[in-house]
Amino acid sequence: MPEILNPRERFGLLVIDEPQDRVPIFPLLTSAAASLNDVSLRDYYTNGTIMAKCQLKAQDEFQTDFISIFSEVGIIAEALGSEYYYPENDLPVLNRPRWTDLEQAFKNQECLIAAVPEVPDQNFGRLGVYLKAIDYAYQAIADRVPILAYIPAPFTTAQQLIDPESLLVSLIDKPDMVKKFLSSVTNAVISFSRAVIRAGALPILVDPLASSSVLSPGQYQEFALPYEKQVINFWHRYDLDVVLHICGDTAGIINLIPETGADLVSIDRIDLNYALKTAGNRVRIIGNFDTTTLWLASPKEIESRVNEMVTRGKTCPRGYVCATGCEVPLPTPRENLAAFVRTGKIAGNYDFPLSTKRGNYANCRD
Amino acid sequence: MIDLNINYQDPKPARISFEEWDDLFQRIPDALIEKFHYFPQNTEAWSKYLFPPQIFYIYGARHLRRLKFDNSLAALRLWGFINNESERLFRARQIGKKIIAVMGDLGPLAVLVHAFPDCVPFYPDCWWWTPFAMESTVLLDAAAQLGIGEATCYSRAALGAFAKHSYFPDPDLIFAATGASCDDYSGVESLVAKLTGNCIWVETPLRLPEERDALVNLLIEEYQRVIKALQELTGVQFTESMLHASISRTNQVRRLTANLRQLAYQQALLPALEMMLIEFGCLHCYSDINEWIEILKHLTATAEYRRQTNQPVLNPAALRLAWLTPPADPLLLTYVEDQDARLVATEYVINQALTLLDESQPALTAIALSHLNGSLNGAAHARAALLLSGAEANSAEGLIISGILGGSHCAMESRLIGDIVKASLKIPVLEFDVAPPHKEIDRQTRTRIDAFLELLRIRRCRKS
Repeated sequence: MPEILNPRERFGLLVIDEPQDRVPIFPLLTSAAASLNDVSLRDYYTNGTIMAKCQLKAQDEFQTDFISIFSEVGIIAEALGSEYYYPENDLPVLNRPRWTDLEQAFKNQECLIAAVPEVPDQNFGRLGVYLKAIDYAYQAIADRVPILAYIPAPFTTAQQLIDPESLLVSLIDKPDMVKKFLSSVTNAVISFSRAVIRAGALPILVDPLASSSVLSPGQYQEFALPYEKQVINFWHRYDLDVVLHICGDTAGIINLIPETGADLVSIDRIDLNYALKTAGNRVRIIGNFDTTTLWLASPKEIESRVNEMVTRGKTCPRGYVCATGCEVPLPTPRENLAAFVRTGKIAGNYDFPLSTKRGNYANCRD
Repeated sequence: MIDLNINYQDPKPARISFEEWDDLFQRIPDALIEKFHYFPQNTEAWSKYLFPPQIFYIYGARHLRRLKFDNSLAALRLWGFINNESERLFRARQIGKKIIAVMGDLGPLAVLVHAFPDCVPFYPDCWWWTPFAMESTVLLDAAAQLGIGEATCYSRAALGAFAKHSYFPDPDLIFAATGASCDDYSGVESLVAKLTGNCIWVETPLRLPEERDALVNLLIEEYQRVIKALQELTGVQFTESMLHASISRTNQVRRLTANLRQLAYQQALLPALEMMLIEFGCLHCYSDINEWIEILKHLTATAEYRRQTNQPVLNPAALRLAWLTPPADPLLLTYVEDQDARLVATEYVINQALTLLDESQPALTAIALSHLNGSLNGAAHARAALLLSGAEANSAEGLIISGILGGSHCAMESRLIGDIVKASLKIPVLEFDVAPPHKEIDRQTRTRIDAFLELLRIRRCRKS
């Protein structure tokens, strides 16, 4: 039976605190769209049309609620000078960061990150791939399905520009210099995002290297959060509904994440009940199905676990999106993905449309 | 200029593209974004609306990339306000307001609703723009599934919007005007009634000058039923002074609009697209009459400043066009202005929402009389007369009639009115049907517009 709402309408209701027909379904189906379509990964992340076609086919096959334009978190760092190796059937690998240590990135106390145009063009690294993919998908489907473009956050991008180990040491012994560097990176991230916004995609901020697997809560608060916040503030000038994704363990920082201003927070390895309790009154929660389970478990087991997760997730006062905790693994069997989507839709069903005497959503407003 | 107490100055007047507005938006101080709120008594973050076209484009309004916009702050405010009306209606209900759908009469019923505190009227009819704004058949397909297809005016999108429950909240009350009005839309209304099960029908009679008093009485009785329903819904006891206050505010909107029409159509101070939005604002003030009045004042100040400093936004010497029936596709207006033509007179079937309500009359009589000024409830020659006065006053050189494929009154009236205008003003007339939503104007229509404008240029040359 056809659904009442299309994904764009459903998401539109979610972000204005209105009930939907069901929770939106958002497996972070990024590069796995290439493997599902038997396309080489290198073709996928170097050719925007191929990326878009894979995304559109996957969305059509699984009837998910979003298009995900993304390859990997190095896309801005590469445009700023880091070197990547493009394996035929894997994601780009950081070959050589732009600088080996923080000192190299400064000359006469000035950060050497080249000024990025206010709105960079398609020749800014692989931004052109993104723009082509967004445009293609947008023309095809934007009246019905939101197009999301993943933007690596400043801290994650910084770790792709400077040797990661060296940068982490600098957090301790050169914190001011790190902050100065992060400010320059933030400007580049904002410029990159402007091109994406103009192309018609909703930017989603991804900061995987700021998770508690890498940073302590204190370091997150000092070196990641303020720059996430700057980017989010810029996007809020446009009234965009901002998704922040931090994969890995976020238990130590979930109470801090709403301070970024994000409207929706995508979580990974954290107890869902704890996340709901800690942040669910302030942000909408997206998550957080274990991706290893999605890859290796049987469809039946996936059904059972998705059902359990969504039943809990739906209690989030600000709203909930049924999602994977991180990107769908490349070798995930399609029947597993289908089980995830199918069960999410059934378990995520709401009474819709409600009568005019609605639930007390007024308490949930921004 | 209007004093905003914030350091921002409009650039030299121009029509700008989607990307250019994004560049200009970077210059807007945060304080300005914070300054404007709908339902202005609240300052919630969600009620801000000064946002550029990009946000609405991301949410699917694909046409925005192809349009040109006035580059004033007032115009940005206008666009932001209009584009988030859908959200505004949902938020209205979240903060306890009653949502009242008024359909079919395009103007008078909203005045009644505005008389009641915390009641927000809106015209679902206006969702006919959505398929064009989004270059999408989503709402038209939804309407088709409920039994109304391509043989009907694009206003059938309203039915699709009701079925979707996501373009506006399910209304607390629905008033549907029918009778001497658009019969296509009456068909849409009957399906809305079937779908929702709670329409209150309101009779709208044919205008017969010799039976004016009887018609006024009939309308008053109809309006009394509307008032009774609103009283029951709100628990508020209606008084004549409530309605007088509503009339007074409505007249403020209409006076500001009339002034803007004069400034724009006589002196090229605002583009046609923004003017169309302004004229349609007279229907229900985009669900927030108080903020709409402030926006109209801001636009007026902008136009006045341009007049005083002799900075029109369009070429005053451009070809002067009159336009009959709203172009469902806004791209048509952008296109004719790109070809160095400008609008000097319009008749968008909403005359009943543009004329002033007579404040010396008893309130319900005044509303009934305004209804009887309607574009569609009289003979075609009366509607032609509405256009003729503006076209003649502003020396229109040609008339464009954009009909709606399947729209029955368009098919009946367009040729008739065209003939009257031709005979009276001796100007050429171009008549075409607006093609279904698409990313560009269909080639045949574009060629016909080009040829028409070329003809007007030749006529002008010969005259000079």
